[in-house]
Amino acid sequence: MAEYVNKRTNRGAFAGQAPFVRLQAISKHFGKVRANHEITLDIRPGMIKALLGENGAGKSTLMSILSGRFQQTSGDILVDGALTAFHSPKDAIKAGIGMVYQHFMLVESMTVAQNVLLGQEKAFLISPKEQEREVAALAEQYGLPIDPSATVSSLSMGEKQRVEILKLLYRDSRVLILDEPTAVLTPTETEQLFDAMWRMADQGKSLVFISHKLKEVMAVADEIAILRKGEVVDEFKEADVPNEAVLANRMVGRDVELALDAQPVELGATVLDVQGLDGDGLEDIMLSVRKGEIVAIAGVAGNGQKELVEVVCGLRKPVRGDVSILGLEWHDFYPRPPRKGRSLAYIPEDRQGLATCKFVDLVDNFLLTTRHSFTTGPFLNRSKAVDTTIEIVEQFNVQPGHIDADARALSGGNLQKLVIGREFFRQPDIIVAENPTQGLDISATEEVWQRLLEVRKRSGILLITSELNEALQLADRIAVMYRGRIIDQFPKSDTKKVEAIGLMMAGVTPE
Amino acid sequence: MGLELIIPILAATIQSGTPILYATLGEMLTERSGVLNLGVEGMMIFGAFFAFLVSYYTGNPWLAFICAGLLAGLFGLAHAVVCLVFQGNQVVSGLALTILGVGLADFLGTAYVGVSAPGFSPFDFPVLSAIPVLGEIFFKQDALVYVSFLLPFLFWFFMNRTRWGLALGAAGENPAACFAAGLNPVKLRWAGIYFGGVLCGLGGAYLSLAYTHLWTNNMTAGRGWIAVALVIFAFWRPGRAMFGAYLFGGIMAFQMRLQAVGATLPSSLLLMLPYALTIIVLLFSSARGKGRQAPAALGVNIEPGE
Repeated sequence: MAEYVNKRTNRGAFAGQAPFVRLQAISKHFGKVRANHEITLDIRPGMIKALLGENGAGKSTLMSILSGRFQQTSGDILVDGALTAFHSPKDAIKAGIGMVYQHFMLVESMTVAQNVLLGQEKAFLISPKEQEREVAALAEQYGLPIDPSATVSSLSMGEKQRVEILKLLYRDSRVLILDEPTAVLTPTETEQLFDAMWRMADQGKSLVFISHKLKEVMAVADEIAILRKGEVVDEFKEADVPNEAVLANRMVGRDVELALDAQPVELGATVLDVQGLDGDGLEDIMLSVRKGEIVAIAGVAGNGQKELVEVVCGLRKPVRGDVSILGLEWHDFYPRPPRKGRSLAYIPEDRQGLATCKFVDLVDNFLLTTRHSFTTGPFLNRSKAVDTTIEIVEQFNVQPGHIDADARALSGGNLQKLVIGREFFRQPDIIVAENPTQGLDISATEEVWQRLLEVRKRSGILLITSELNEALQLADRIAVMYRGRIIDQFPKSDTKKVEAIGLMMAGVTPE
Repeated sequence: MGLELIIPILAATIQSGTPILYATLGEMLTERSGVLNLGVEGMMIFGAFFAFLVSYYTGNPWLAFICAGLLAGLFGLAHAVVCLVFQGNQVVSGLALTILGVGLADFLGTAYVGVSAPGFSPFDFPVLSAIPVLGEIFFKQDALVYVSFLLPFLFWFFMNRTRWGLALGAAGENPAACFAAGLNPVKLRWAGIYFGGVLCGLGGAYLSLAYTHLWTNNMTAGRGWIAVALVIFAFWRPGRAMFGAYLFGGIMAFQMRLQAVGATLPSSLLLMLPYALTIIVLLFSSARGKGRQAPAALGVNIEPGE
């Protein structure tokens, strides 16, 4: 991972200033669930405050209260020392508090300028030229490069995020809350975001950075508050921020086994064999996976990984070249792949869209890919499916463990555990896992990793990951992809090549 | 066929297309705010009946026209109550509105069938009617047609160049974003449903005030449904709505003319033409592309607390 250099220039100027916003003993309950409990937090001008915590620790809930989306069950919000109540985001915006949501709140069919000015237009009649000029000037001031006349649907994730930030800056927000802002960004975009954050802080804005990525928090934050189970368990000011391991411990409340012990297992038959796969942006891909190994495809997202996965998983026809899965040619394996036994399991990156249905319960989500194990002719043995789902939920520690909850009620990590439990239940011979721990907290990541290492004993795994650390932790072999090609593949024991992965990801072939 | 035959057909095209244009723009406005309202037919006939009734008792067609719009809008608010207050199913509610409107107009109107009322008559638009051919087609019409010429431009201007229009569009594309921007998407949808209903009612009023000057049962004869289809055909854009409305107006005028000259085709086959075209048009417009999508949140209710 890249090292970030903090480019703040005048943090000292803001030392000791009175807090702009104070959250005092905030509690929030959703029915019986206690999302926030007695949280007290100061947000000071010119400071970047990081809220660190695992999925479900209550970070997003707390910030939704601060931005007026939710109302607290008890506790006070003080703005400039005065008691303030937010009934809607409008009130919070008026008070100078705005939030960049994890899922962008943009109108895709409108232009950047229209989105920035939505609800803020000065006059009844609108001049697009004038709007675009205004937005361009603002973007210039804070170092957020963007084309104000572009339609939002044509923008990259990083650009969309800039539009969200511009929306807040246009409203003269003094507090900008960024909810997991780097989850959707490429490494370059992440650096650009950090630069912009430092620039905004230098101009006196308060920033709240919600994250569970320790490295980023360490790099960017001036102050760190750690949330666990809805409570603030620790707070650190500029000077006394401890090291990564300490932060991680405080965050999960127990020691994290950051390095795994991945002993190689005996290799079996070849389960996936790709020979000279070409077309759709792919170039002469040669790749094989055997039972008992994890082959990691490393590389920056968007270099052909998606296309490769889609071919292997039957979502896209191979243009040229041979793909054989479990000894069968692609055209023989699809479109009626075996549902159980000698089968292929796919753990997609998009666990909320592709892997599960938001509005149905866990049993039905479980049955999405496993129903063939519970049917007799046209009839479904649902009670057996319910029992099995309960077992899976317990075995894979899916929280909260109610099987009649909708999938949308689960956090990303828990949903992923359910998906993995479901796919493992099919006892597949080959598993394709796409960024399986993206957006997951440390303990969930660790659990997922352990599961993948375990299941390797009976199946081959193709792991696509944009986290280098994940590849290094799990893989037996690593292939690096760049612009649709596999630059090189090598066993993890080849330390010389492992050292050079960074270069390979940028397209350089070391000789 | 010579010009002297074509010009009357084209002039009749404009006249037949006008009520459809009003209604199409009305439904388009509602859909741009994110609500699907299949009650167009009901609101149109409701407007047609009250336009007739007000004109019959007051003798003032302008008052009748305006009342018809306002009342049809109020009638359409039943849909708003179902969809915006109770988050009911938009398709079912819209269908109910159509059935209710048609039934109500039939029931209340029985006593008046065949009775005439003052309405709008064609007049030569100053200057412009002197233009050869085009003047004959476009500018020897009634006042309501002239009003309708302006509507698509006003619609476009409202949606793209005014604060309210952009806000309304945002409610139809992404209510959550709209809410986060400090706007109230539910209120915007109320407005979208009301003013969409007003336009549908005006389209209906055209039928009883200008197209004919009397009341008969089933006056709208499926024009509301054509309007619903035209919104899709027009890709939710007012300019194309105008084109589509006149296309259908043309087919209607053409089949009437064919019947009048005693074509040997069975009349029921001719009467079927506009509806057959509706299906064909929908088939062709199903090819979506950039800028052709429906409002992203069309038909999706706003759940409270989100």
